[in-house]
Amino acid sequence: MLENFIAGSAALFGDPFTVAIFVFGVIGGMLFGAIPGVSMLTLAAILLPFTSDLEPAQGVMLFAVIYCTGTYGGAITAILFNIPGAPENAPTAFDGYPMTKQGRAGKAVGAAVLCSAIGGISSALVMMAATEPLAKWAIRNIGPPEIFALVFFGLAVASSVGGRTIWKGWLSVLLGLMVATIGQDPVGGIERYNFGFADLAAGIAFVPAILGFFAVSEIFVQAEKKVTGKYDAPPVGMSFPTILELWRYKIAVVRSILVGFFCGILPGIGATLAAFMGYGEAVRWSKDKKSFGKGNMEGVISSETANNAATGAAMIPLLALGLPGGALTAMMVAVFQMHDLEPGPLVFYNSPDLIWIVFAAMFYANLSILIIGVMETKTIMYLLKVPFQFLAPMILLLASIGSYIGRGLVLDVVVMFVAGILGFLLRRSGYSIPGIVLGIILGKIGEQNFAQGMQMVHYDLVTYFSRPICTLLILAGVLTLGFSIYQAFQGIKQKSPAS
Amino acid sequence: MKHSFKAAFLAAGLVAMAGAANAFECQVKEASMSKPGGFPDRALTMIVPYGPAGGSGQVAAAMAEAVTSLTGVSINRDHKSGGSGTVGMTAYMAAPADGYSVLEHIDDASSAHALDSSRPNPASDLIPLVTSQVTFSQIYIRTNETRFTDWKSFVEWVKAQNGNATIANVSKEGSMERVTMKFITDSTGMSIQQISFDKGAPRYGALLGGQVDALYEQPGDVRKFLDSGDFKPILTIFNERPDVFADVPTHREMGMDFEPLLRFRGFYVHKDAPKDRVDWLKWAFQRGYCEDSYQKFNESKFMTVIDSYRDTEGSIALINATIPQYREVYKQMGLDVK
Repeated sequence: MLENFIAGSAALFGDPFTVAIFVFGVIGGMLFGAIPGVSMLTLAAILLPFTSDLEPAQGVMLFAVIYCTGTYGGAITAILFNIPGAPENAPTAFDGYPMTKQGRAGKAVGAAVLCSAIGGISSALVMMAATEPLAKWAIRNIGPPEIFALVFFGLAVASSVGGRTIWKGWLSVLLGLMVATIGQDPVGGIERYNFGFADLAAGIAFVPAILGFFAVSEIFVQAEKKVTGKYDAPPVGMSFPTILELWRYKIAVVRSILVGFFCGILPGIGATLAAFMGYGEAVRWSKDKKSFGKGNMEGVISSETANNAATGAAMIPLLALGLPGGALTAMMVAVFQMHDLEPGPLVFYNSPDLIWIVFAAMFYANLSILIIGVMETKTIMYLLKVPFQFLAPMILLLASIGSYIGRGLVLDVVVMFVAGILGFLLRRSGYSIPGIVLGIILGKIGEQNFAQGMQMVHYDLVTYFSRPICTLLILAGVLTLGFSIYQAFQGIKQKSPAS
Repeated sequence: MKHSFKAAFLAAGLVAMAGAANAFECQVKEASMSKPGGFPDRALTMIVPYGPAGGSGQVAAAMAEAVTSLTGVSINRDHKSGGSGTVGMTAYMAAPADGYSVLEHIDDASSAHALDSSRPNPASDLIPLVTSQVTFSQIYIRTNETRFTDWKSFVEWVKAQNGNATIANVSKEGSMERVTMKFITDSTGMSIQQISFDKGAPRYGALLGGQVDALYEQPGDVRKFLDSGDFKPILTIFNERPDVFADVPTHREMGMDFEPLLRFRGFYVHKDAPKDRVDWLKWAFQRGYCEDSYQKFNESKFMTVIDSYRDTEGSIALINATIPQYREVYKQMGLDVK
């Protein structure tokens, strides 16, 4: 492995043009990842036709690098302005933005930079070591029933994030799950709750909903404070976390690497579920669950480690089996095909040089997040010094463009503003915005896999629970759920006048 | 009623058979065409109702590249995905009918109109510029499968499972896949659970990993698994054996008497667009089909196994044959045909 890695590195850095493509991918991915709406997918779609003029290794490597750095890029705006660059950065905003408001932006961004790099590098190393056996294990053992169980397990802790009470947390999750049912049902294609609007047939898109619930509702909250004279500009904290501070979260990092890797390796799942699951597990294992959603650095660390850990993992089913994990890896298939190649088992035998250049590039791309991330962050954090009256319209404009650009539908901008108003009102009443977003995103994935899973077992629950991984995850979810309900009742009991 | 049903099937069969595999010869002889009134003097917009990475996204990209290389006119692809193509179609119908906007769509547009006639009819509300991909479906199993090895043993095995066997496909209500599966199950008397996966990767992964017993797909989409030896076809749903699948029986040979439904992808312009502009677009897209880059793309997708090309008239005939066929089946299935 080491020999191949050195050969891949030598090929990568031995040609100035290849190096230029690598650097372009690193910077382009970070930039497009950071701007809401115009994600790394936008950049990849623009570049796709041009890759036919590149060497196959250069083209695939460029996309792999964009994937690594683009996944990290959205964390910065999530932390500084409550604008996740992409759905996989949404959980980063849960605690990252409260940290910014507390004057700890530097610590949040520093943690995101370091943990993105650690997550990405770790998964790149595992990818290099064991691509083929891991991919085969995943497709044999993880099907729709297990993915649904994973989602259920993830949702079971959602109630404790961000809501004033556990009941409001659960109501928020349920609201998100209801929103997720808008549009065609994922299995039979039956239209639901579109009220005659054809554009709603595809359901509520993630990006406008996330931008509305996070960015727009935050602007309304801050604007209200401004009008009532309660607004205080967030102090700009430039200090990065110390090594000792980060060392305290070593278990969270390792856990998130495992969670992110596991989610990333599943075809069609990818980094979004990884980030939410990583965050959920941080909450589950924490002794101070109530601090999540209020500026707990472990939230940022877990989410960012997990989503970058999913990048290397998502390459495993792609390269070993030809099964892309998400939209960007699906575009990589097109890059392969443009050069008369097909990702899959044969690519290891037919094009080992290409594989090892890509592996090496992903390793160094994650490493460069650390270097370039620290450099760019210091600059970008000065944006926090821009007065609110200038910053707010800028964010609204960016968010509107970001909502519109994905599908070019005015409906998505309307959805963003409705989500913003709804988010503003719900936040005032103590409901959980992370809970709603979690419900929307995991609801869609969960519903589809539940329906597929039930079809696979012919609607027989005995067969469903004969799958050990599925049973284990469902049981763990039920226990978590039961425990949180018990805690909620205990809370009511303690508050009642009789006690 | 029965007569019209058979007539519709016969018509569809003849249109399908029009696609015998021949050596490629470009049907558009004019290598260039002057721009009518300077049209187009800016980039065209191509609305694609599916994501950039799927089959439609790829064919849209390949055709856009071919037309641009031929004419020098840029084409911006605007992906409006969702709702099985509904979102993109709605957006296209609302766009100005000036010829600057074109639409990529698949046979889903025809089946959607068959189910609900208020939805646009691609043969009359739109003008087909070219149909550039026409393909058939097959049933695949894993090559290392030991429980069954061919279609006959597969049917026997499925029947023995009493409805517990599974097949992965895109079995949305009224889809080509679901309708064809109804034909197959009715003809063979077997009962099989269809598992609907809307994305290709989990669908193919489900067969590779043994989560399902078989897969319904078109050969171009699983070519890499055929080349790698992971999948093998056991049934071709087409009236004759294509040369590259000469050892795979067709559904007719296996005693199933129905006309195959085809998957087709093509390009359209609004029916109210100015005629001279439509003519130029027809030339550009039909000639674009002949470009080397597009032919190479189609070949890589197994789209040259049968004749993938239909000009405007051919496309209208294909759509007009397909719609009544779907409509009859929907009625048989008890769906609410509007």
